[in-house]
Amino acid sequence: MPLLVQAIVNGLQMGFLYALVAVGLTIIWGLMEMINFAHGEFLMLGMFGAWWLSVTFGLDPLLSILPIGLLMYGLGVLIYRLLMRRVQRGDPFTQIFATVGLLFLLQNSAVAVFTSDYQYLSNTLLTRLSGSNLRILGINLGVPLLIGALLALVLFLALYLLIDRTEFGLALQATAEDREAAMLVGIRPQRMFAVAWGLGAALVAVAGCILANFFAVYPQVGFPFTVLAYAIVALGGFGSILGTLLAALVVGVVQSVTSVYLPPAFKDAFVFGSYILIGLLRPQGLFGRF
Amino acid sequence: MRRVLAVLAAAACLLSIAVLAYRPAPAANVSEVLIGELLPLTGNFASLGQQYLWAGQTAEDIVNNDYPDLAVPLGPGKGFPGLGGAKMTLVVRDTQSRGDQARTIAEQLITVNKIHFLNGEGTSGNTSIVQPIAESYGIPMACHPCASPTLTEKGFKWFWRTGPHDKVMVASVFSFLKEWREHGGPTDLKTVAFLTCDNLFCQDNRKVATELAPQSGFQVVLDLTTKTGATTLASEVQRLQAANPDVLFLVQYPPETTVFQGDAKRAGWMPKVVATSNGAYSDQTWLEAQKKTNGGVGILGRDPTAIDLVHDRPSWKKVNEIYKKYSHGQNMGELAMREITGLLWMADTINRAKSVDPAAIAKAAAETNMSPSQLIIDYKGIRFDKNNQNELATGVVTQIGWDGEKHTIWPWELAKRANFKVIFPSPSWQERDSKPKPAS
Repeated sequence: MPLLVQAIVNGLQMGFLYALVAVGLTIIWGLMEMINFAHGEFLMLGMFGAWWLSVTFGLDPLLSILPIGLLMYGLGVLIYRLLMRRVQRGDPFTQIFATVGLLFLLQNSAVAVFTSDYQYLSNTLLTRLSGSNLRILGINLGVPLLIGALLALVLFLALYLLIDRTEFGLALQATAEDREAAMLVGIRPQRMFAVAWGLGAALVAVAGCILANFFAVYPQVGFPFTVLAYAIVALGGFGSILGTLLAALVVGVVQSVTSVYLPPAFKDAFVFGSYILIGLLRPQGLFGRF
Repeated sequence: MRRVLAVLAAAACLLSIAVLAYRPAPAANVSEVLIGELLPLTGNFASLGQQYLWAGQTAEDIVNNDYPDLAVPLGPGKGFPGLGGAKMTLVVRDTQSRGDQARTIAEQLITVNKIHFLNGEGTSGNTSIVQPIAESYGIPMACHPCASPTLTEKGFKWFWRTGPHDKVMVASVFSFLKEWREHGGPTDLKTVAFLTCDNLFCQDNRKVATELAPQSGFQVVLDLTTKTGATTLASEVQRLQAANPDVLFLVQYPPETTVFQGDAKRAGWMPKVVATSNGAYSDQTWLEAQKKTNGGVGILGRDPTAIDLVHDRPSWKKVNEIYKKYSHGQNMGELAMREITGLLWMADTINRAKSVDPAAIAKAAAETNMSPSQLIIDYKGIRFDKNNQNELATGVVTQIGWDGEKHTIWPWELAKRANFKVIFPSPSWQERDSKPKPAS
């Protein structure tokens, strides 16, 4: 029993981080019905940015969240204006190929600039805390991962409030609901789309700043997270922010619990198995709408 | 009928032209020897590919330039003397760490670039995909750092390997653990658990370890295979903690090893011995990173050479200087040493063959009998068995010390020279944190 509870707690902590990784995909899909295959590369850029600022200026990755978030917001907007706005009008395959092309462009550019070496952060706030644990009712909570998970949760909730409780968020939702009706009340959809790309890039890059404390940083690091992010977004329902959070927690727990009782090879099989199951019972995902 | 004959004749002519096109030019006309370098320069194994590329550039530099005092094959003199001074030219192609891509590019290198010797792909899995291509065209091929035993057990006529394979290297680890008891080591190490990734390299290691562990007196208490690219290994660590093995046999790449270390530290778990085999243990960037955290201290693993003793060799120092020209100052790791040794053997073989004709190269390869003094690595020499596997390639066991460097601990005669006291048991995470870090 303690093994199971510990596995659930571990899974929940990872789940909060997965949620922050995946939510950018949800926003872009919810607003534009477009899948960004280069999403993991934004995560990779965030991780490299945090690593570079740390080794060059000694800036802690948690403090680099703001500059990297802003920079990546700008990059997201730029990518929308230069590329995605044009392909948005085209065939869905054109959109897919454009983001796949972007994936390779960003990944290979990272290889050219940073080389393929694995980079590691040390001497940051969270790495210095590594090894310190909280023990509550026999459950072990690693302090750095707990801080990372709580930070991800706070950022996630801030995003939720921004989208759900502000005029700007309502404008985004209105654009997602009915583009023409939104235009009638003075909302400019193109601006909203650009904001969605900016937010998507910034959020996943911020997740990268947190994850850089726990993982090796290298040009292909985004891939395993992206694969999970697709499953999370599909499971939670494309476009649903709260659905993403819930699905991320489910994915984290499923991964963790299955590995305790079954061969670890089943870990992702069960994650995608649960996605298929939800897909059969509720194709729009847990919180999605058709 | 006449038309059919004409078509058949034309087809025969085209076929002859095609066959002639693949036949390398006679020695007298060869101005450059083309070595196809099939490398994972991007994708998951790009970090390895980069070291192989630098190794290739080093070998090319050694062959094409005159290093009069360098006691390695084709060190003194310029180019291939057996081919009238022809130069070595690397034709480098990126496989993106993908098997399908490696296969396509290998075919292009053979049919379009008309390379004389194919080297690569650097990872066992992708190399096994390329092997049938080289075999079907009858082009000599080698992969020196590839460690999967199966590569030289399939009966391929055109594939050679100068480096040791996993059976040799994993056997070194278990020989050490078995013999350690009689050399003042602990006598209470009874159980072992495996934590390996899911690709050909890791699984070959696992299979060999599964066979050798009981023979070395160990009971396997847990056997976990994880997916390459795991984002968390916390549950696996929980299971390991519950199984409580004396020895953990860990075969993972650097990113997953980092994830494992983080999760093990969170769980406060450390077995008495962590033994590994290649993967992160061979990655120079991972090793360097451990110096900032003491994370690698006490980990022992197999290596093809006694890296702490090899520095005393004059040829190693000179080759390392050349290597550093290409690696932006990074020292040769053991993977690069394996690759350079293999490439220089290839050059020596072509030189002795005095031809780039595949049959002549194969004959010269079969006649190889290189002594240890010609090598920058601790093999007992290079001589091939009937499977074209270097039967003199050996393994040593090293351990990461508190200085962050690897020290030879087996075989015992080399360990005596290295004069390093084996760290046992593996230090706890608290001890690692409290002691000074070599790179801080």
